[in-house]
This record gives sequence, structure tokens and C-alpha cells, in this order.
Amino acid sequence: MTEIILMAHVLFGVACLITAVWLFVDVLNVNEINLARIRRTSLGAAVFMWLAFLIGGYWYVTSYKVDKAIILKGPWPFAHNMVMETKEHLVILLLLVATYLPIVASENLAKSKDARKLMLWVTAAIAVLALAMDGEGAIISMGVKVALMHH
Amino acid sequence: MENTTLSKRTVSFGLALAAACVINAIIVVVKEKSDAVMGAMKKVLGHHWTTHSALIVVLFLVLGGLLGMARGGRGIAITTSRFITTLVSAIGAAALIIIGFYLFVD
Repeated sequence: MTEIILMAHVLFGVACLITAVWLFVDVLNVNEINLARIRRTSLGAAVFMWLAFLIGGYWYVTSYKVDKAIILKGPWPFAHNMVMETKEHLVILLLLVATYLPIVASENLAKSKDARKLMLWVTAAIAVLALAMDGEGAIISMGVKVALMHH
Repeated sequence: MENTTLSKRTVSFGLALAAACVINAIIVVVKEKSDAVMGAMKKVLGHHWTTHSALIVVLFLVLGGLLGMARGGRGIAITTSRFITTLVSAIGAAALIIIGFYLFVD
């Protein structure tokens, strides 16, 4: 069950990342026709991020201690000491930026250059942070794997 | 420089986001350096990270609402370039503080 929870966390996180990249491109080509889609997709990105956060948070609080103990006994202790510690706090930034996204998308992006500029910065920030979370997650998983292979 | 054409809600929650990001990073440093703070955060919601997350999300929402009420309900006056620079700098600074702390200090 914990594996399914973890995979759902990754699934929704990646969905948020892909949606942010999609939005970045959509905003570059914004007009009155795709404005409603951009607003719906922005809400979708925020929902994906909240699901990834809540599912991942539940796993972190209830199940991570086992992986942590394995990582710390293995050859990659930095997978916890540096990477997981960083990830669990950077993800809060990502959650806030994703929550802010639908607020920016409620502006008239087709008419406002200011709103388009802000939207591009916000979607780019989400994409970069989500990619960083994805990479850090991979390192943490690898930390468990190398520890188990080491024994 | 003219004030932004962005809505009051976008500006107030954007500035709240900037503040919440930096405060998030400061809490990371404070709780990791203070056993008393870490212990208190563990007690509140059972896990320091749960308390930390809830605190920052509530701060973002409350601050966003309060900043919208500034200047008699007209919100904060700011230019677009200054607003975006503040927001992006805060997110970048918060990320660097967190990464730098765990990389070099902790």
C-alpha cells in the first residue's frame, strides 16, 4: 500500500509539472479563445499539486522513517540529510506558488501584458521547482536502493 | 512609473506569497537550530513538518487577505516590474536559504 501511495504522489507531482509547462506555452499564445482553458488548467495544476502534497505528506509522516533508517545506514546518507531535508521544505514553496496560479489566471491574460508576464514567471517557477522535486525524489529512492544493495 | 494593472487580489496574494516563502525559509533555520522550537512544532500537530506546512499555508491566506485591505481596501500600490521582481526574488532567496542551510550549515 505504501508503494501505491508513493506512486500516486509522484503521479500527481509530474501531472503538476506537465500542466505548468503546458500553461507556459498556452500563455505565450493566449487569446480570448484559450483563456477559459488556461483558467481551468491552472486550477487543475493547483489541484494536482495539493494532491501530490497531501499524499506525499501523509507518506512522509507515517512511512518515511523506515526508508530514512535504511538510507542513513547506507553509502548515501546525504539522500536524507541533504536531499530529503531540502525537499520537504522546498515543496512548501511549490505548493504556495501552485495555489497562487489560479489567482493569476483569473486576470484577463489576453488583454493584460502585465498579467501575461506574471503568469509566465509563475508557471516557470512551478516547472523548475517541480522538476527539482522530481529529481530529489529520484535521489532519495536511489539512496534506499544503494543502501539495500550495500548490505 | 505607473502602478500595476494587475488586480488587487493578484497583488496582495503575490506579496503574501513572497513573504510566506521567506518566512518558510526562516522557520527552517530557526527550528533546526532550536530544539525548543522543534519540540514545540512537533507538539502542535504531531510532526514538525505538518505544523510548519499548516503555519505557512495559513500565513499565506491570512496575509493575502490583509494586504488586500490595505489603503482603505484599495490594496498595495506597486509597479508591475517591482512586484514581479519582489515575488521572483523572494522565491529564489527562500530556495537558496533552504538549500544553502542543509548543504553548508546543518
